[in-house]
Amino acid sequence: MTADFLLVPRPAVSPFAPSEATRLTVGFLPLTDCAPLVAAVVLGLDRRFGLTLELKRQPSWSALAEGLASGALDAAQALYTLPFDMTLGLSGPAVPTSILMGLNRNGQGVTLSSRLAEAGVSDGASLAAHLRRARTRPRFADTYPGGTHALWLRRWLMQHDISPTRDVEILTLPPPAMVDALKAGAIDGFCAGEPWHAVAIAQGAGFTAATSPAVWPDHPEKVLAVREDWLDAHPNAARALIATVLAACRELDALPYKTRLAELLASPDYLDLPAAAIAARLAGDYDDGRGRRWREPHPLLFHDGGAVNPPYWSDARWFLDEWRRWGWLPESVDADALARRVGRFALYAEVADALGILAPASPWRLAGGPR
Amino acid sequence: MTRVLLIHDTPIHIDRLSAALVAAGCEVVAELGSALSLAAAVARHAPDVIIVDAASPSRDALAGLCAVSAESPRPIVMFTGERDPAVMRAAVRAGVTAYIVDGLAPERLAPVLDVAIARFEEEQRLRAELDAARRQLADRKWIDKAKGLLMAKRGLSEDAAYRLLRKSAMEQGLRVAEVARRLVEASQLLS
Repeated sequence: MTADFLLVPRPAVSPFAPSEATRLTVGFLPLTDCAPLVAAVVLGLDRRFGLTLELKRQPSWSALAEGLASGALDAAQALYTLPFDMTLGLSGPAVPTSILMGLNRNGQGVTLSSRLAEAGVSDGASLAAHLRRARTRPRFADTYPGGTHALWLRRWLMQHDISPTRDVEILTLPPPAMVDALKAGAIDGFCAGEPWHAVAIAQGAGFTAATSPAVWPDHPEKVLAVREDWLDAHPNAARALIATVLAACRELDALPYKTRLAELLASPDYLDLPAAAIAARLAGDYDDGRGRRWREPHPLLFHDGGAVNPPYWSDARWFLDEWRRWGWLPESVDADALARRVGRFALYAEVADALGILAPASPWRLAGGPR
Repeated sequence: MTRVLLIHDTPIHIDRLSAALVAAGCEVVAELGSALSLAAAVARHAPDVIIVDAASPSRDALAGLCAVSAESPRPIVMFTGERDPAVMRAAVRAGVTAYIVDGLAPERLAPVLDVAIARFEEEQRLRAELDAARRQLADRKWIDKAKGLLMAKRGLSEDAAYRLLRKSAMEQGLRVAEVARRLVEASQLLS
């Protein structure tokens, strides 16, 4: 197949009313799970729905949030919790932000330093034993205050009776800074998305101590976010955008050769990293960097027949409840109302329906929740 | 005037360094007691150079410098008493441009900063040049591959294949290389 449709764009088959804007700037971070955005462009799905997406790599989640808030970005890949943070103004000015859809599940992890490995640490249990013995207070990094990695890291530590507040120190670094910080001895471990764990192994800086499904099998992770006022002004562009990215997610899970996708993601325009660091884990093949190999039973998925993408209010509630537990959610906030305001479930369901993708009847699901 | 963001990773000889910087004609736009929130301070103050005053660089300083190097690279000069080569390597990994051990006469401060800034700019220029060269090479590669695909699959001549790419690029408001790349990547992904 020559993908001729990219040459002479087919008349848009968009089932939606003409878009208010056709060129959209979309922010992403150099992470394996930005694949739906890359695929949307590479496969020309944006054209099919009458859009042209321009992808803009961002150096950190805070830079991405700033771009979304300022209008430099029309839409962005985001940590699931980022739209709540922006809506409430917890890390900057309050800019109401909406979740259009989920982008992926799973695919995150915890890396520990080679120095800890030399001290006999290989997983959470041996880390706990080491901390009791050595009486040190190691320092870990997550990727954004209150972000998904902040939560996965704390849950993982607690699974091993390590107090995230008393026994360790946790700071925030941009994902691309993790491996250098590990090598410089600035941190002893980090929780972030792939391929940074595979990169840490490739550079001899650390090993994979856990993958995120150990905390919550098939957890929601990244979402597609836009500003609320942008959404109000561009309802049809939003529909076309959801359709584009949803179609990309569907294609991604169906792709036979994940190595090709890894090569695409590796390009200087996207991750600018060796394809080898991306390929194996994208296909679900893991190696912890210390000789243990396994096939991940809860791999990174982008669609799973449509189960991955609905912006469930119940998922939003889970994150907000977790925030409340850590004292990060202001007392006055009505979590239910915030979940309903941010998660654009009805809009998603309308677009999914137009694409022949089954949308759940209810924005509340029972399934899920951490171990 | 050189805008300097000064980090005191130690309480020692604080005043001497800030005074020497002012004497050397620099504007100290901010002074931080810790490097942990360095990336945010760099975004706010947009300094030309970051100076770290550290008896021995702490983990806070290294983490802050790593974050800056990832977010918005700047020339970083570290004044330190630490001679351990391992620490020096760690500092360079974290993005330090110039690592200066022990006692610096105030009159030498200005040339040291100038050299650090010049070296950093040279590195950035080389990187940009390399990126441009890589891009040009990649552009040609994509166009050649796309032409090849069209010649094989559609039986077009090389000229006709290029004209089709160019026409399509004009219609879509994209560069020819971009259209070529999308065509090749999509064909690879779908085959």
